[in-house]
Amino acid sequence: MVSKGSDSSSKPRKLHGEHSGGGVGNLTHKLNHLKRQVQAERAASIKEKVEKNRKKLESHGTEILSATSSRNVPCVEENGFGKMLSSRIQNPLCKFAGLAQGPGDRDYANGHEVVSSTSVKLPYVEKLPPYTTWIFLDKNQRMADDQSVVGRRRIYYDQHGSEALICSESEEDIAEPEEEKHEFSEGEDRILWNVCEDYGLGEEILTPVSQFFGVTSSEIQDRHGLLRDKYSEQNVKDSEDSVSEKGISLDKSLSAALDSFDNLFCRRCLLFDCRLHGCSQSLINPSEKQPYWSEYEDDRKPCSDQCCLRLRAVKDVAEGSGVKELHGVKTATLEEKDLVVSSDAKEQKTIADADLMQDDIGEERPVGLEGINDSEGAGETQTSVMSSIPMDNHESSGKRKASQEPLDDPLHCSDGSLDSASKKQKTLLALDVVTKSSEAIPSHVSVESSKSGDDNVGTHTENEAQITAKNNKNEYGERGLVTFTCPASASKTKDKIKNGAKDVTKVPDLKSSSEWKPIEKELYLKGVEIFGRNSCLIARNLLSGLKTCIEVSSYMCDGGASTLNRSIMTSSFLEENGKSESDYMLLVTEQEMSTKPRLLRRRGRTRKLKYSWKSAGHPSIWKRIADGKNQSCKQYTPCGCQSMCGKQCPCLHNGTCCEKYCGCSKSCKNRFRGCHCAKSQCRSRQCPCFAAGRECDPDVCRNCWVSCGGDSLGEPPKRGEGQCGNMRLLLRQQQRILLAKSDVAGWGAFLKNSVNKNDYLGEYTGELISHTEADKRGKIYDRANSSFLFDLNDQYVLDAYRQGDKLKFANHSSNPNCYAKVMLVAGDHRVGIFAKERIEASEELFYDYRYGPDQAPAWARKPEGSKRDETSSSQGRAKKHQSH
Amino acid sequence: MAKTPIGLEPVVGSLTSTKKREYRVTNRLQEGKRPLYAVIFNFIDSRYFNVFATVGGNRVTVYQCLEGGVIAVLQSYVDEDIRRMSLSTLNEKIHKSFVGHGDSINEIRTQPLKPSLIVSASKDESVRLWNVHTGICILIFAGAGGHRNEVLSVDFHPSDIYRIASCGMDNTVKIWSMKEFWTYVEKSFTWTDLPSKFPTKYVQFPVFLASVHSNYVDCNRWLGDFILSKSVDNEIVLWEPKMKEQSPGEGTVDILQKYPVPECDIWFIKFSCDFHYNSAAIGNREGKIFVWELQSSPPVLIARLSHAQSKSPIRQTAMSFDGSTILCCCEDGTIWRWDAVPAN
Repeated sequence: MVSKGSDSSSKPRKLHGEHSGGGVGNLTHKLNHLKRQVQAERAASIKEKVEKNRKKLESHGTEILSATSSRNVPCVEENGFGKMLSSRIQNPLCKFAGLAQGPGDRDYANGHEVVSSTSVKLPYVEKLPPYTTWIFLDKNQRMADDQSVVGRRRIYYDQHGSEALICSESEEDIAEPEEEKHEFSEGEDRILWNVCEDYGLGEEILTPVSQFFGVTSSEIQDRHGLLRDKYSEQNVKDSEDSVSEKGISLDKSLSAALDSFDNLFCRRCLLFDCRLHGCSQSLINPSEKQPYWSEYEDDRKPCSDQCCLRLRAVKDVAEGSGVKELHGVKTATLEEKDLVVSSDAKEQKTIADADLMQDDIGEERPVGLEGINDSEGAGETQTSVMSSIPMDNHESSGKRKASQEPLDDPLHCSDGSLDSASKKQKTLLALDVVTKSSEAIPSHVSVESSKSGDDNVGTHTENEAQITAKNNKNEYGERGLVTFTCPASASKTKDKIKNGAKDVTKVPDLKSSSEWKPIEKELYLKGVEIFGRNSCLIARNLLSGLKTCIEVSSYMCDGGASTLNRSIMTSSFLEENGKSESDYMLLVTEQEMSTKPRLLRRRGRTRKLKYSWKSAGHPSIWKRIADGKNQSCKQYTPCGCQSMCGKQCPCLHNGTCCEKYCGCSKSCKNRFRGCHCAKSQCRSRQCPCFAAGRECDPDVCRNCWVSCGGDSLGEPPKRGEGQCGNMRLLLRQQQRILLAKSDVAGWGAFLKNSVNKNDYLGEYTGELISHTEADKRGKIYDRANSSFLFDLNDQYVLDAYRQGDKLKFANHSSNPNCYAKVMLVAGDHRVGIFAKERIEASEELFYDYRYGPDQAPAWARKPEGSKRDETSSSQGRAKKHQSH
Repeated sequence: MAKTPIGLEPVVGSLTSTKKREYRVTNRLQEGKRPLYAVIFNFIDSRYFNVFATVGGNRVTVYQCLEGGVIAVLQSYVDEDIRRMSLSTLNEKIHKSFVGHGDSINEIRTQPLKPSLIVSASKDESVRLWNVHTGICILIFAGAGGHRNEVLSVDFHPSDIYRIASCGMDNTVKIWSMKEFWTYVEKSFTWTDLPSKFPTKYVQFPVFLASVHSNYVDCNRWLGDFILSKSVDNEIVLWEPKMKEQSPGEGTVDILQKYPVPECDIWFIKFSCDFHYNSAAIGNREGKIFVWELQSSPPVLIARLSHAQSKSPIRQTAMSFDGSTILCCCEDGTIWRWDAVPAN
């Protein structure tokens, strides 16, 4: 084929220039020729395939054949059936002679009537009630896309004859006018490529070609473009095949990794690949920042052998605040000193020096942390150290929405160019500071280092790898400095951090084994965002296996040093940044400080304030609650509003409350604020949660909590302990349900242990499908005369036909002993089945499917006399889906 | 259906019979008046290769083919409650009852290498793997990725013991693998406790899903690594499942060959192959039989069998070990025996 293309290529090029009438004629000829060629090749390849397959099959055939003949012996002994068969062969029940052999008899075949009087009756086996195989679900699942029956052709056959009844549901479903895009096969690609090589792709060529393929000319052009790319790429690839083979996950940036995390991790169910909420949920970032997970320095235990805490030999004697402040200053100065040492080490390359540096890092780090944690607003320099890192992260996390200020760009550029130049400057600057500050506390440092010496020998000899790491430390220390300076001052986005990092790694003389990869840096930044400046937690949770605690803490200090430098150097740039910085600082400190007292204050308030359910949320909510009948539950989707929800809030628009998953602040007016019930156990309409058809949420309600380590899980709630009785779906405090043949029809659900009125029995789970889907499926299920559809809310219907739990087999009764209720549990609607009255053990469970007047099957119709008042039965009772 | 792109066309067999082999009717039996849905030869035990069984109504009858067109009745069984099923093999007498399927069973096949293992395809939308000796339901192939309607046919892969293919009224063919669950299969052989206590597992996702047909798929068989399947489109299709190793469940279908069968547009007509899969026989709506050479390219029509009295739809055929005898069972309850005329 290649030769074909190349030998004819010279001639038609000319043709293309002339494009005589013969050119097009040639074209069709050529097209047909190529087509025949491709087809012949196809036939040959099939032949080859079939032949290969045949040979393979042949060998298997002989294998199986030998297996069949080896079966003779054991079979006879085993079950006596072989013996019976042999004896029957000897002695058949009857024989029917074959037809006469003559060719003339072909037209008429005289049949024999087989009358087997001696048939063996098989033992009777009780027939199971029919069911469709179903899968147990412990929580609802959203329908997978490929499970839809909408728009799919369903074919039904009559029960009696086998006549096909094609039940095209309605015409508009079948109509799929959208023309499928033509998939070009390999052969077609080849034809197209060859022709275009020869004739070009002019207008007069395009038309016959597109006619030939039966597609539009634009498709041909698109495809040709693709092919051209492909072939040219191939040429390039041949030359540099080996280069591109790199790319382990560590080289990728964190944002890429986080992207898959954001897409696949469900923040509501806290698991990957959530079947209920699906992947690619829109990401909602809470407008309120969580306070850092703070631990007191003294409570911290060394996290590992490589923990920075291990290196701290001396516990400081004095703990007074005055000393702390001194420490604060010392921290900063030590960091500077560090730098100096490291640059020294670079020149001298002695292990001893590096080791010394190590000591220093180990010592000053925790102290520095102390200073940060406890002494707020001590010195200006200190504040900047402390705030700069959180600030970076704050900004980068907010970058999704924040547009870049144009001012940043020039800054960034200048900074980038400054990188190398400023390095020297910085060290000089740092040197200045060191000399100054070391004068202040020279003795202190020396004492510390000498004392800690013993301790460090151990770690030093422990592994040699560590030594090399130390050797390199100065280098990445400096790099840390550069990268921190660059993004923190100028760029606000992570991408730019990466850029900065790249710039640095390009500097040839800084190559080392333990350098910080971009992803590690980003992970570190995330860690600071989550844990604050706690190197143990960062190393363990985010950089485990990548960096040790010591490395993290030294990196942290270097980063801190750099930001310190930055605040001196770039203070002129930073005016507006500084403002936001301090704002943020205020926020953090406010949060940290007030966490505990606020809790206490609140408790005091509840006693005074009478909490009614009207205060549980927005007026529109309690209007709905007061109405009693909430007609159809509304599906909740978290809103991404920042701070307060205004008129445009999707939650408000949909008529749902804002929940804890929303982005808005906790003080949002549309938030459902839970209940304050103290002793009522939230079991009556006194409880605003209960009244709104919601379960209590320990995250939201004040007095509804779950005790840890108790055996409450999976067991019925214990009464009289003041525990909330309205979290039973959440805690799965369900009863044991048994599946058995119903006394009424088909299968039925039975109760293992007796329960009291209003006890929770279990959840009715299933596939979440849309209403249109449910209508279609309803029609199909109606033919099978069994439906497991259940209206959930305005968006979804539950279908337990193929996936569900045993409660799906509970039958309908007009005088039931259970009722179903749709509850909002942590933002999701779920169906709970509750006891309507006391039910004894092993009783069958029934509930009212709440068929519409004309939709119930005959057996489910209510007898006239027993008609109860529909409206008196409380709100929120769920009903089976009714197709329209 | 979109036009087949150039270079991916299947090879379609020609309907002109080569008369490679000639067959003639040697016997005809009338087994009651009820439709017979299945007939099959024993391929499991070489001593009884000439034994076959039929199913119709609630009756299973075992026969033997003898020389000169003679058919002997060996045994028959009556059950209250078999509606439609096709026996995989004669040798596996129903000496145990298997309870579990939620509805009637459409087909059973035996694993040729391990005859204790059978798979059943059922109306309850599942395929189940059983161990006949211990009476255990080992695996259930159903669930999230399972069939969406009755399963009509199922078959074991000839060499890959882990692999089965099933098809049904949801128009799809699904290939399943039990490789990950093989420990349970092994466990089933040594299980001594009650069968109901066996930890039956669900296989929820097939390794391959093929939408080759646009209507019910009522019969599928492995032909080596390829699959033969048929719908109501007057043809048997041979196709190759091209799986992607990295992403199970996805893949493409390469339709290789087509074996036309005229007047075969009704549902539930099954074809059968001889032991070595050299040829296949299939009946049609008008009582005619087409015998195809399966493994030649292009396919060759060996013979077209018709008889003046055979007018009723042929539900299933059975080919003997070497293909020299073809049996067919019809809607009107007749069994026809065709024997190859020895070449002179």
